[in-house]
Amino acid sequence: MTQPLATGMGAPVRLEHVTKRFGQVVAVNDVSLDIPAQKMVTLLGPSGCGKTTTLRIIAGLETVSEGRVFIGDQDVTHQPASQRPITMVFQSYALFPHLNVFENVAYGLRNLRVAAAEIRRAVAEALEQVGLAGLESRAPSQLSGGQQQRVALARALVMRPQVLLLDEPLSNLDAKLRKQVRQELRSLQQRLGITSIYVTHDQSEALALSDIIVVMKDGVIQQIGGPEELYTRPANAFVARFIGDANLVEAEIRGGTVWVQGYRVPDPPGDRRDGRRLLMVRPEAIAMQPAQANGQAPGAHGLPGRVVHAFYQGMSAEYLVDTDAGQLMVLDVNLAGPVLPPGTPVQLQFSPRGMYVLPGMATGQPAAAS
Amino acid sequence: MSAPSIPQQPAYTAADRGPLGAGFWWALLILAAGLGLPWSRQGVNVLEYDAARTGLRLVGEAWPIAAALALAGLLLFLGRPPVPHRAAGRAMVLVAAAGGAVTAGHVLAQGQPFGLGALLVFLGFLSVAGMGLSYSGWLRVEPFAGGAILWLAAFIAVFILYPLAVVLTTSVWVRDEFTLDVFRQTLRSPTFFLFENPWTEISERRVALWVGSLAAVLAFPLQSLWGDIPLARQALRSVIIGLGAYCLSALSTGFGALRNSVLLALSVGVLSTALGLAFALLAQRSRFPIRSLMGPFSTLSMITPPFVLGLSMIYMFGRQGLITNQLLGLSTNAFYGPLGVGVAQVLAFTPLAYLVLTGVVRSLDPAMEEAAQTLRASRWRLFHTVTWPLLRPGVANAFLLTVIESLADFGNPLILGGGVPFLPTEVFFAIEGRFNQHEAAVYGVVLLAMTVGVFVLQHYWLRQASYVTVTGKPSGGNPSPLPGFLEYPMTVAFGLWTLLGVMLYASVFFGSFVKLWGFNNTFTLEHYEALRTSGFGVFLNTARLAALAAVPSALVGFLIAYVVGRLRFPGRSLVEFTSMLSFAVPGTVMGIGYVLAFHHGPLRLTGTELIIILAFVFRNMPVGIRSGLAALQQIDRSLEEASTTLRASNVTTLRRILFPLLVPAVISGLMFSFVRAMTAISQVIFLVTPSTNLATVLILSWVGHGSIGRGAALSCVLIAAMAVVVLLLNVVLHRTNRRGQRMATY
Repeated sequence: MTQPLATGMGAPVRLEHVTKRFGQVVAVNDVSLDIPAQKMVTLLGPSGCGKTTTLRIIAGLETVSEGRVFIGDQDVTHQPASQRPITMVFQSYALFPHLNVFENVAYGLRNLRVAAAEIRRAVAEALEQVGLAGLESRAPSQLSGGQQQRVALARALVMRPQVLLLDEPLSNLDAKLRKQVRQELRSLQQRLGITSIYVTHDQSEALALSDIIVVMKDGVIQQIGGPEELYTRPANAFVARFIGDANLVEAEIRGGTVWVQGYRVPDPPGDRRDGRRLLMVRPEAIAMQPAQANGQAPGAHGLPGRVVHAFYQGMSAEYLVDTDAGQLMVLDVNLAGPVLPPGTPVQLQFSPRGMYVLPGMATGQPAAAS
Repeated sequence: MSAPSIPQQPAYTAADRGPLGAGFWWALLILAAGLGLPWSRQGVNVLEYDAARTGLRLVGEAWPIAAALALAGLLLFLGRPPVPHRAAGRAMVLVAAAGGAVTAGHVLAQGQPFGLGALLVFLGFLSVAGMGLSYSGWLRVEPFAGGAILWLAAFIAVFILYPLAVVLTTSVWVRDEFTLDVFRQTLRSPTFFLFENPWTEISERRVALWVGSLAAVLAFPLQSLWGDIPLARQALRSVIIGLGAYCLSALSTGFGALRNSVLLALSVGVLSTALGLAFALLAQRSRFPIRSLMGPFSTLSMITPPFVLGLSMIYMFGRQGLITNQLLGLSTNAFYGPLGVGVAQVLAFTPLAYLVLTGVVRSLDPAMEEAAQTLRASRWRLFHTVTWPLLRPGVANAFLLTVIESLADFGNPLILGGGVPFLPTEVFFAIEGRFNQHEAAVYGVVLLAMTVGVFVLQHYWLRQASYVTVTGKPSGGNPSPLPGFLEYPMTVAFGLWTLLGVMLYASVFFGSFVKLWGFNNTFTLEHYEALRTSGFGVFLNTARLAALAAVPSALVGFLIAYVVGRLRFPGRSLVEFTSMLSFAVPGTVMGIGYVLAFHHGPLRLTGTELIIILAFVFRNMPVGIRSGLAALQQIDRSLEEASTTLRASNVTTLRRILFPLLVPAVISGLMFSFVRAMTAISQVIFLVTPSTNLATVLILSWVGHGSIGRGAALSCVLIAAMAVVVLLLNVVLHRTNRRGQRMATY
C-alpha cells in the first residue's frame, strides 16, 4: 500500500552504508549515495561492479546485508518491492507475453484497483507519450525491439512512480535506435520530473543522458559527479580510463612545474604539490608534429617519440606513439597533413585543456593507453 | 513522444482494500469453525456433523478448546493493514503457534478421530502463523507465501514423513517396548535371505570371500591400464570392487526375497538401460522410423497398469501359454518366477529408460563430435573420450531410475512370482497373509533403505555430473551415423522387443474375448457382460477418485515447485527433498505406512475415499513438481520482478503471470496425475475396502482367483479409457502450445 508523498512525483533517494553480500562475495560494499529529486542519475561501471545490484536494492528486489535505503523521507529498507513507489524497466523488457500491449501497460494500475475508465485514460496517455498509440491490441511478440522497449517504458511511466529505475534499457537495441531512444528518454524524464536511476556500462550513454554519474568498481563508488566533471577531473586512474580514452603518464612535480621525461608540461589543472604523480592526458589533447631534423634539445618542444601504429578513421586519425613515458594514444582530429606512417619520429605537445593531475601519488605502472 | 508537457500529478496509490486484513478473516474462520463444527467424530466420515461435539457444547468442559478460541479472539486484533509492525507479526506468530499447539495437543490427547472443526481451527492457526512469520521479517516472503509454506510443510510432514516414521517405529517397537528382535528374526529368516545353503557341500560364505578378495586383488593392477591413477585411489577402488564382488557372489549363491529383488533390479536395470540407450541412439541416428514407433510404446506403457504385462505373460508363456504350450508343446512353469517378472519389467521399464536417454542423446551436440574429428580423433577415441563421458550421467540416471522402479514394482511379482519371494510382495504377504505388521514393517524398512539410497545417489551424485543442460539446443551439424556392427543388432533387438510388446498387448485384447485362454478359445463377450455387474461401477469410481485427486496433486505440485523454485526461506531444500522423496518410496511401503498411521487414533482416516485420494495426491505430486520446476526454468525471472515492481503481490503474480504461462505444464501435470492414479496399485491395495474398491485391485484379485478373462476385459477398458483421455489432453496441449509458441518467439 503505497503512501503518497507530499513532494509530488520525483522523490530523492538515499542509500546509507549499504552492503550486499552473496555468500563470500561482496557485491556492493558500503555504498552511501544521495540522489536528488527529479534528476537523471546513472550508475556506470564495468560488468560485475555492483551497479545492477545497487539498482535492485533500491527496487527492493534484493535485500540489503547492511545499511538503509530511503525513498523520499521514508525508510523503505524492509519494504517489499511491491510496496515501494518505484517502477523499473528491465534489460529484457520483461513484457508479459500472454498479455497484449494495453493489458501490459494496464497491469500495474489493475493491481492498484484503479477504476476502469481511469485505466483506459492513463494507458492511452502513456502510450501516446512513448509514441505507440494505436498498438494497444498487439501482442508483445508482434512488436519490434524498439517498440517493445517503449511498451516497457510506458508500463513503468503509467504508474507515475516517484523513482524510475532503468536497468540497461537500451542494450538490446541497435546503435542508431539507441541514440534516438535515449534522447526521447531524456526529454520525457525532464518533462515529467521523475527521479530516474539508470544503469549502464556504456560511458557515452551515461555522458549523454545524465545529470549525475556514479562510477562504480568492485562494489565501491569511485566518483560521483556531473558528466563534465568526470571527464575533465577524474578522481582516479580507473575513472580516467573508464570515461573516455586516457593516457596516464608518470609526472614529476617540482615547485609547481610539471615534468614528463624532461618535457615541461604547460600548466595542467589539478593538485600540484611536489612529488611523483599520475598525469592524465586525453588523446585529443596531444598535438603531434614530425620531429625536426636539426638538433634542438629534447624537451624544449615536447616529448619525442616514434609512431608505432596509425589508424585512419576518416575524420580523424589515431596513433600509437612510443615515447620514453610509455606508449601514448594520440588522436589527431585536425588531420592537417597526410597520415604519418609507422616509424616516423615525432614531437608530442600536451594542451592544458585535456590534462589533469590525478590526486594522490603515483604507485607504479604508469603510462598505458587504454 | 511529442505530447504536450504534462503537469505534475500525484502518483497512483492503492485503493483501500478494507481495514481488516486477511489475518482477521482467518481468525474469524477459526472462531466460527471452532464453535460451530465438531472437534471430533465417531465414524470414518470427516464431514460428519455432530452437535454434541461442537465447540459451543464443549467450550465449558475442555479448557484447551476455550484457550484456542480465546487465542483466536486475540488474533482478531493483530495484523491490521497497512503493513503491520514487525512486533505485531511476532505476536501473531506466537499466538497462532500457541493456538495451533493447544489444538493439536487437545486432539491428540483426546485420542478420538479429529473432526472438521478441529481441522479448520488448526489450519487457520497455521495460516495466521505463516502471515505472522512474513510480517515479523523472520521469513522474507509475503504473507500468502508464508502461509503456503507452513501448509505444505504440515501436509508433507503428516502424509509423507509421519507414515514413514510409523513404519520405522513399528519395526522396532513391539508391545510398547523397543526391541530389535523382529528385525533379527526377519533378517535371519530364509524368506528374507539365506546365505549358507544347507543342501550343498561347500560353504557359500567362503566362496563369496574368495571371489571378493580375488576380484580386489585382480582389480588393483588392472586399473593402471586405464592410465595414471593415484595409488590410494586405486586401492580404494579395488576394495570397493572386492566388496561388490563379494555381495554379488553372496547374492547369486543365496536364496530369499533380498537376493531375488536385488538381482532382479540389477539385471532389469542393466537390460532396460541398454535397450533404452540402443533405441534412443537408433531414434536419433538411424534411417529406420524408430521414433514414430517409440512414441506410442512409451505412451502405452505409461497408461498400462503395471501388472497387465504380467497378465499377458501368462497368456503367452504360462502353463497354457500360446507360445510355450500351443507352439512348443511344453507345459512349463519357467516363466513363473524371476524370469517372467524380469521379462515383464524389462518390457515395462525400457520406455522409461528410453525417455530419459533420448533427451540426453538429443542434446549431444553433433558439432562436438565434428570438432573431435577435426582434431584427429579416431572413431573409438571419439566415443571413448567425448560421446561416452557425455552420455554417462544420463545412462547412470536411467539405470538408477529403472532399478528403483524394479525394486518397488509390486504387481508383476505378485502375478508372476509363482511363490518366489520378493521384497515388495513380502511386505504385502506379511501384513495380509501372516497378519504381522512388525514383520511387514521390517521388510518395508529394508526396501525403503535401498530405494532411498539409490535415490540419494541419483539426486546428489548425478546432479553434479550432468552435462546435459550446459549446451542446450544442438547447434546444427549432422550426427555421425551409427557403425553397422552396432546398428544392425540394435535394430534387430528393437524389432524383437516391438514384436513381443505387440504380442503381449494383443494377447490381453484377445484374451478378453475368449472363454478360457488355452482351454476353450471360442469367441465370447461374457467377460465384458460380467463387467456390467461389478467391474464397471468400480471402474467409474476409480476414474472419479483419480480425477478428484488429479487436481490437488497438480496444484500442490505446482505450488511446491513455485515455493521451492522461486522463494528463499530456511528449510527450502528440505521441502524439495522430502516432496521428491515420495518418488523413491515404494508404494507398498507407503501403503503399510498409511495403514499403520491412519487406521486408529486422532488421525483416523482409513476406510474412507479421502485416504485414497490423499494417497494418490502425495504419490503423484512429484510429477507435478518436476514438470512445474521444468516449466518455471523456462520463464525469465524478470517477468515476476516486473510484476512485483508494478505493485503485484505474490498471489497476483502467481495468478496473473505465472499460472497463464504454466497452463500447458499444468495440463500435462493433471494428465500424468490422473493416469498414474488410475494405474496405481501398490499403495492403494492396502487402503481399499469393499465399498471403495479400485479397478486395478479388482483386476488383481480376479486374476488371483482365476477369472483371468474378466481381468483382461477390465484391463482393456482401463487402457482404452486412458488412451482416450491422453489423446484428448494431447490435443488440448497441442493447441495451448501452439499459442504458447507464438508468445515464446518474442
